[in-house]
Amino acid sequence: MFIRGAICVALPCLGTFGVDAQVDVVKGRHSFGVSGFTGDAAIAGQVTDVLKNDLRLSGYFSLAPVSSAEYVQSGSVRGDRNGIVVECVVMQQATKRVALSKAYQGSAQDVRRVVHKLSDEIVQALTGQRGIAETKIAFVWSHNGGKELAVMDYDGYNARQLTYDRSISVRPRWSPDGRKIVYTSYKNVFPDVLEVDLYTGQRRRLAAYPGLNTGAVFSPDGLSIALTLSKDGNPELYTMNAEGTDLRRLTHTRSAESSPTWAPDGQTIAYVSDESGVPQIWQINKDGGSPLRLTVSPSYNTEPDWSRPPGNSDMTPMLAVTSRVAGKFQIGLYQKGSAGVVTPVVADGMDNEDPSWAPDGRHLVFAKTVHWRSQLYLLDVVTGEQVQLQAVEGGASEPAWGP
Amino acid sequence: MSSKLLARTILVGVITAVISTGCHHGNGAAGGNNPQGGTGAESSVPGIGNGTGSENGISPRPVLGANGLPEQGQFPAVLFDYDSARIRPSEESKLEAVAAYMKANPGKLVIEGHCDERGTAEYNRALGERRAIAARDELVKLGVDSSRMSTISYGKDRPVDPGHDEAAWAKNRRCEFVVVTQ
Repeated sequence: MFIRGAICVALPCLGTFGVDAQVDVVKGRHSFGVSGFTGDAAIAGQVTDVLKNDLRLSGYFSLAPVSSAEYVQSGSVRGDRNGIVVECVVMQQATKRVALSKAYQGSAQDVRRVVHKLSDEIVQALTGQRGIAETKIAFVWSHNGGKELAVMDYDGYNARQLTYDRSISVRPRWSPDGRKIVYTSYKNVFPDVLEVDLYTGQRRRLAAYPGLNTGAVFSPDGLSIALTLSKDGNPELYTMNAEGTDLRRLTHTRSAESSPTWAPDGQTIAYVSDESGVPQIWQINKDGGSPLRLTVSPSYNTEPDWSRPPGNSDMTPMLAVTSRVAGKFQIGLYQKGSAGVVTPVVADGMDNEDPSWAPDGRHLVFAKTVHWRSQLYLLDVVTGEQVQLQAVEGGASEPAWGP
Repeated sequence: MSSKLLARTILVGVITAVISTGCHHGNGAAGGNNPQGGTGAESSVPGIGNGTGSENGISPRPVLGANGLPEQGQFPAVLFDYDSARIRPSEESKLEAVAAYMKANPGKLVIEGHCDERGTAEYNRALGERRAIAARDELVKLGVDSSRMSTISYGKDRPVDPGHDEAAWAKNRRCEFVVVTQ
């Protein structure tokens, strides 16, 4: 339902998603026993695998033997060519309390989506938190010497190509309603900001001024777009409305401003400026005014992305950034009140770039480059666990986690 | 040579059309408004909807690369220091040669800004643009009309040397110049 098959074709190279079957018990996690599903063995096996993977990736559960788990799942599947029905019961063993009892229906091709919905409802029922299993990730696919946009499920499955321009299409960003993606396209030679409607496949050009048009990102209410333009002399920050009109210039510097990201309240915009001689994160009011420098160390911080945790979340809003330390890129987090210091969260000696927050404000997707090829990884910032998504032939970069 | 030249000729035509049809990308053509903003669907985009993408024509890249320069204006790339958009004194003579050519010949100049791979993607797009603008501003000082020039930043997406060492990086931190005849 999210992306119609008619506008997409599956990437040929994507298949299974590998995660080691860890059942370690981390403090604060619920132990969860998946007993599986009765019924058609093939469907039941797939449903079980997807459910286990979703629960593991959620970060809230450690998978445990049914006999010793705090929560235990049981269920059944029925299915034929016309559709499937998945019934699931989750019980708290000690109290015999039924935490969830539901049936889910879907087409036979939609098994993964049906289970993602079930997984998110289990997360909601047992933790009160919003799950991420039904979300999507857009990314840049390096293909045949060019760069195309693609969209996939959050777990790396169902990747679909979104552009077929045989050009350079980069830096996708989602509209808050998940219906549109804005990005930078070199299809007409010069870098322009385009928008694609995922429901209809229609594209339109939102900004095509002289020079650089890039970095477009929707405000939290979806009504405005911040972006970088160089039409007035050097790369500066601007805002415009979602139709591409009512352009307003925010910054006036002799340096370059890029990579805007809206604060959760939509009132300020964080961005990169090298005004101090090195790239650092700055902040400016959405209507302009005096910029405020946010980060001081390390000496190179770029690609800021504000998290937007839901209202009832335990997570606080944070900026994820790409820092450069000793010649390597690492992912770091910045919080207000941290005296300008970015704390590394992925610093493994490889190049890690382009962090983008999941809507739960807890998970990040980022690009890790190994042997000069970039692939996408998920990070749970609470547990620190990284998971590699299925490798994409040619490489994947600049991910954007959808709403 | 013939197929390459043909592609090049077609693509020069494409660029010429982009620049000469009053497109707002022509330097100085746009004011504070956006002529195409909010005009609805771009219905002519092939690819999305059919999923083949194989008839989309030729990528615009070949004419803009180091090997795709038009016959009449082959200029050496202007090189830059790491994370810098300053024109080195040693590169001035290259810009003087470009300026002399432009003053003696018709046509428009496309200035490409490029970066090495040791910066993040979007930051490098801004840095590449600053390099192209620095070269353009220097050419203006040397007497080339700014309305004849436009800039394209490719960030780190189009290295001329695919290597991963200082020798490759030094070549990739550059501006290239493409003369487009009208």
